[in-house]
Amino acid sequence: MTSGENYLTHGKGIRSWLLTVDHKRIGIMYLGLIAFSLFLGGVFAMVVRFHLWNPGGGLVSNDAYNKMFTLHGAVMIFLFVIPGIPSAMGNFVVPLMVGAKDVAFPRVNLLSFWLFVGGAVLFVATLVVGGIDTGWTLYPPYSLESSRGLGILLALTGVFLAGFSSILTGVNFIATIHKMRAPGQGWFDLPLFLWALYATGIIQIFATPVLGITVALGFLERVFHLGIFMPEYGGDPVLFQHFFWFYSHPAVYIMILPAMGIVSEVVAVFSRKPIFGYKFIAMSSIAIAVIGFLVWGHHMFVSGQSKWANVIFSFLTLLVAIPSAIKTFNWLATMYKGHIVLKTPMLYVLSFFAIFGVGGLTGLFLGALATDIPLHDTYFVVAHFHFVMVGAVMIAFLSGLFYWWPKMTGRMYDERLGVASALLIFVGFNVTFIPQFLAGTRGMPRRYATYAEQFQGLNRLSTVGSLLLAAGLIVALWAFVKSLRSGARAPANPWGGATLEWATPSPPPHDNFAVAPRGVHPYDYTGLRHVSEEAGWEPVRKEGAP
Amino acid sequence: MIRLPDLLAGSLIAAGPGYMPERASSVAEGVDHVFGLLFWISAFFMVVIVGFTILFVIRYRARPSRTGPEASPDHSTRLEIFWSAIPLALVFVIFAASTKVYFAMVESDPGSAPQRVQVTGRRWSWWFDHAGGKGSKELHVVVGKPVELVLASTDVIHSLYVPEFRLKQDAVPGRFTRMVFTPTVAGSYPVLCTEYCGTNHSTMTSVVVVHPDQASFDAWAAEGKGGDETLLEVGVRVFGEKGCSACHSTDGSAGVGPSVKGIWGKEEKITTGATIRVDENYIRESIVKPGAKISAGYEDMMPPIPLDDREIQGIVAYIQSLKDGP
Ligand code: HEC
Ligand SMILES: [Cu+2]
Ligand SMILES: [Cu+2]
Repeated sequence: MTSGENYLTHGKGIRSWLLTVDHKRIGIMYLGLIAFSLFLGGVFAMVVRFHLWNPGGGLVSNDAYNKMFTLHGAVMIFLFVIPGIPSAMGNFVVPLMVGAKDVAFPRVNLLSFWLFVGGAVLFVATLVVGGIDTGWTLYPPYSLESSRGLGILLALTGVFLAGFSSILTGVNFIATIHKMRAPGQGWFDLPLFLWALYATGIIQIFATPVLGITVALGFLERVFHLGIFMPEYGGDPVLFQHFFWFYSHPAVYIMILPAMGIVSEVVAVFSRKPIFGYKFIAMSSIAIAVIGFLVWGHHMFVSGQSKWANVIFSFLTLLVAIPSAIKTFNWLATMYKGHIVLKTPMLYVLSFFAIFGVGGLTGLFLGALATDIPLHDTYFVVAHFHFVMVGAVMIAFLSGLFYWWPKMTGRMYDERLGVASALLIFVGFNVTFIPQFLAGTRGMPRRYATYAEQFQGLNRLSTVGSLLLAAGLIVALWAFVKSLRSGARAPANPWGGATLEWATPSPPPHDNFAVAPRGVHPYDYTGLRHVSEEAGWEPVRKEGAP
Repeated sequence: MIRLPDLLAGSLIAAGPGYMPERASSVAEGVDHVFGLLFWISAFFMVVIVGFTILFVIRYRARPSRTGPEASPDHSTRLEIFWSAIPLALVFVIFAASTKVYFAMVESDPGSAPQRVQVTGRRWSWWFDHAGGKGSKELHVVVGKPVELVLASTDVIHSLYVPEFRLKQDAVPGRFTRMVFTPTVAGSYPVLCTEYCGTNHSTMTSVVVVHPDQASFDAWAAEGKGGDETLLEVGVRVFGEKGCSACHSTDGSAGVGPSVKGIWGKEEKITTGATIRVDENYIRESIVKPGAKISAGYEDMMPPIPLDDREIQGIVAYIQSLKDGP
């Protein structure tokens, strides 16, 4: 079945990887880099958690702690959560899902990868020159004070490069989805993962340039004192916050929409039922992308922004609840009367439901003005966005990784390890972050190197949880490594998916498909039949077909 | 005797809204009610989400006795509109409840003439100049008396947070921000900084002392009086030293520039035809960038005069004292 060449064996040597324009290889290289970023960000997180074991801190100095949480945030956001699903998994599956040979602009794709590498290298360089302690939000005047060294300039440039990488990826996906769909594949025959990436692409193209401009202005302000953001030169620091969140709030949807896309794929395949309410799910992605542009001011409710601006931003923010709720109910309805197969990807998705539920609902507390004012910049916010960005996004990322792993590598993974990782991560995650909600509600501010005695218990619980979470991630890593070394050969379609990537061998050949496929309904499973665990699923021979 | 339902309800409340800090301001209760509303709405939806997830997994999981899915519709517009409408309705409820409380949080009662306190954030401590001149590292207020904090920062952004008041406000360099509240319970409560400001951000703390009555406050205010220069004294001194008095009278008579007597809080016409209100931010701008808004009837003649934050606060205090003074 897997006779002959595949994309992994097509071309040998390091150059055949580093200069490849094959979207699959680029996806794999992204995956490697992103996994490394997750590891790096995770190490910083563990230092933070251990430092907070005691109220007085004590593991490292306050300054070192401040650098740790800054680097944790910056690396996780710019190098893991934002690029994670689109760049690593999107690159691999988007062309496959539309039955194409590659993305619309393969060379641009390679450029985008190398811009990302450049960004990552600059982040590491930031570390080498002593790190930065500005918080990932880079608020001036603090971040642009003249006493701050080279680190901040390197970091700003790094963000700039990573941002361009993200824009180019978005352009590529949108063009691919528009222009390269298989014959017979209409817009409403697209897998929902593609709708999600399409909506993400819109945000990447419209919002990310603002980030680029913002960090560029920050750079110029720092070097030439133009008087844009720094009050001492006549600038306005709150202007920076507007620019920054004009990008960074939509960026939250750059992170969560692809995650929702994965959930839509996995929940349908593992319930063996068409996704419930395809159009509502597709349109809610677009609605989230659009409303997402209009809510940035909710990060500035206590910045001195006008009362009426606050009221409007609050209302628009609360509206995001509606498309999110629609998606959640539609996913649940997909499981109704289904045939639910509890394999690893599905277990991750089930834990996504609970965690995204909490993450989304606690967003209401922060969108509503009366409660945001006390909760703003406390651990409640920290817990909220970790529920969304780690709980929901990272868990969906892992779900997608287990789901497409056989396709990417041609190897199955050990199901028991997969299940163990999902359970450990779910438990560890909740033990880590639920206490942070409580601490925040009681009034513990974020970014504190030391804290009041009364929060010790909650902080220790959180640290214990983070160990479980780390253990879960190590088990997942172990599952993948073991799969590469001794995993069983993967069939073309191990899960019985109906989207086109399952219609080609695992791993796919260099050109993706031997014969260009025709569009099919992505969630119609009636044309598939389970052969065996080893051989996976096969198309049912149509009556009268040759 | 303890009844089970009470116990259950009690522990549920403790798990949620009951888990808030003490309430010590007039808005704390309102905030907690909104929190409670959100908590129970969230709890309800979590029960729905997790409940259905578990239920479906148990009933419909693949097992030897269940070999495939049952037929069921792949969409239902009515159902989907129904579950879009519920969150929409709830959004309106939440928005209304929260916004009503919010207005109470940012506005003092009309006509209540709050006590003004000038607050200065700086790395890594707070400074409070109370009405009447007393400066202190702690904030002193009186139970039941409305207070208006006017916040400034001399370096980076800080944020003043009193969990027991449920209030927070950033102090932004280069401008003044406001925060109003009425303390309701005597005692002292921590003041924290919630905007990251560097090395000792986490120890940039102070306390707010809520005096049980005016007499107790006055006794505190009288202690060590005459030590440091008060803001008003700073203002009077700067007004003379920096030559403001050459162009501005303090008795209402017009000079090269408008008199500063009685302008505080007034609506004024500027040359563009717009009206502005004379408040601390307008005064700051008039001093730092005099050309930005020009009082109608005057020339753009005032030179920008570099004053530090404290001097500006002093001028503000001085102009305020001339509101309807002698
Ligand atoms: C050379 C004369 C001159 C000096 C010196 C001067 N001002 Fe002015 N000032 C003016 C003029 C003329 C205006 C009206 C035009 C404008 O709004 O810029 C004005 C406007 C103002 C206003 C706005 C008043 C209103 O009713 O709108 C304030 C406040 C003010 N000055 C404060 C000061 C302070 C404080 C100083 C000293 C640090 C100072 N000025 C020094 C000429 C002067
Ligand atoms: Cu946001
Ligand atoms: Cu601070």
